[in-house]
Amino acid sequence: MKSHWADLIILVVVVVVLALLPVLVNNYWLRIATGALMWAGLACSWNMLGGYAGYINFGQSAFFGLGAYTTALLMGDPINLPFFATIPAGIAVTAICAIIIGAPTLRLRGAYFAIATWAFAEALTQFANVMDFTGGIGGLNLPPFLNERFFYFTMSGAAVLTYLVTWALFEHSRFGLKVKALRDHEPAAEAMGINTSLVKLQTFVLSAVTAAVFGAIFAYWVTFINPKSVFGGDITDQMVVMVLLGGLGSLRGPAIGGIGLFVVSRLIWMRWGDTAFYIAILGAAIVLVVLFLPNGIAGLFARRPAKSVTVLDKAAGKLAGTGEGGRN
Amino acid sequence: MNTATTSSPPSQSSDPILTVRDLFRQFGGIKAADGVNLEVGRCEIAGLIGPNGSGKSTLFSLVAGTVKPDSGQIRFDGREIAGMNAHRIARLGLARTFQIPAMFDNMTVTENLLAAAAQGHWHGAKDRAAETLSLLKLDQVAQNRASDLSGGQQKLLEFGRVVMRQASLILLDEVTAGVHPNIRKIILDAIARLRERGISFFIIEHDMEMVRNVCDRIIVMDAGRVVTSGAFEDIVRDSEVMQTYLGRPQ
Repeated sequence: MKSHWADLIILVVVVVVLALLPVLVNNYWLRIATGALMWAGLACSWNMLGGYAGYINFGQSAFFGLGAYTTALLMGDPINLPFFATIPAGIAVTAICAIIIGAPTLRLRGAYFAIATWAFAEALTQFANVMDFTGGIGGLNLPPFLNERFFYFTMSGAAVLTYLVTWALFEHSRFGLKVKALRDHEPAAEAMGINTSLVKLQTFVLSAVTAAVFGAIFAYWVTFINPKSVFGGDITDQMVVMVLLGGLGSLRGPAIGGIGLFVVSRLIWMRWGDTAFYIAILGAAIVLVVLFLPNGIAGLFARRPAKSVTVLDKAAGKLAGTGEGGRN
Repeated sequence: MNTATTSSPPSQSSDPILTVRDLFRQFGGIKAADGVNLEVGRCEIAGLIGPNGSGKSTLFSLVAGTVKPDSGQIRFDGREIAGMNAHRIARLGLARTFQIPAMFDNMTVTENLLAAAAQGHWHGAKDRAAETLSLLKLDQVAQNRASDLSGGQQKLLEFGRVVMRQASLILLDEVTAGVHPNIRKIILDAIARLRERGISFFIIEHDMEMVRNVCDRIIVMDAGRVVTSGAFEDIVRDSEVMQTYLGRPQ
């Protein structure tokens, strides 16, 4: 267990900075900050399962999209629910879907889970493309609410809550020990009495509903969604790269990676007006991380970074089905 | 050679903590468990020996629930556990180590110990982890990552995890193989202390000196079957066993 104080001091500083930001910057930069917080939260959500449990989810955008579409549908005619009432509904829909996908596939060793999550996101994209109630390819409009500070503070609240949940559950609780134990050696975790299938499913559901909350806020914020904008595979790709760059399986890494990469993407857009260069940076980031930074940016500041065996090794082993179990 | 049934010391045979009856498990054409019958008594330290590939580690995996049997009965502490999931068996009070140390590599030594207590034994876990670190002389590396430990220290840490489980039966798979004599002594002392507390042990071991010094009774396996069992002196007097399984004619 790590020091509580260092984490708490950092959190307090971050919260103070977040609270002061709206009076320090204009609406344009506030919008960029809102986006950065959303990506930090999404990266943290992916890291819950990918980093702490070592199970790679290639379809996290599915849950982001489920949250977004649930909010869009419930806020629109004829239901017209208020925004915050739609969030629990999005969480419920997402949790049910995560259980349906995760329960059978998380029991299996190898790439089954990764393939199932990817296929689920693709299936939802096609479903949203062809169904009338989702607006098809044209998507859905939401009632506009043009208050940048509202979305900034809502996104800040969700991001800070996500960070706190990660801190409490994965870094300072028995649950976190169980999750990390199954990541590092599943048969040994079972031999310690840990029901690894259940713990993996709980982690997956938590990771999914967190992404759904950000999807709900995103939908209301941008006032228009379509299948590509919320289910697109590039959304998951960015989360993965952000987590790898920041530090897989670390507390601060995903936030660092999420904020850093999003701000870089915006700066590139401001300078050159397109994001093609950003895509190249994402690719280069993956190569650099795998070759030189297996513990990510957070690993550079860790007191004892992993040397011989990294979290990335464990996640790759689970994906390939060669994990720890084959040795015994 | 003796018959396949085992004979426990009289004081323990009446109420064994582990009873295995007619246990079968086949992998393809290989019979890893071919009708295994054995018992481990309460507070007993039973040794399991046999040549490589004789089915010793598979038997441990079958008892611990890591591998499911094709047929047969496994009774642990009065309950039938054959085919039960590994985590449920562990919760009943059975703990095991693996032939190759099964580390939680990216966790610290202390976290490894705490993880062992995370399910069901959390009360006082931090104090027990500190005691275990001291007992196994791992205090100096308490905050190191498990993957950064030496091979011998990893064996110690894995042993420490089963200690943290507060189990009634501990299965140790070559726990002292290839470790420094100092580490071996630490483990053997700990086994003796834990036995005094009423914990039973079932130990796979190739080191005959350790088997002689530690085990109350030896069970010999070959080709997935128990071929004989008894006190160490009786086993080593059996020249056929010695020639066939240990390669040391007596």
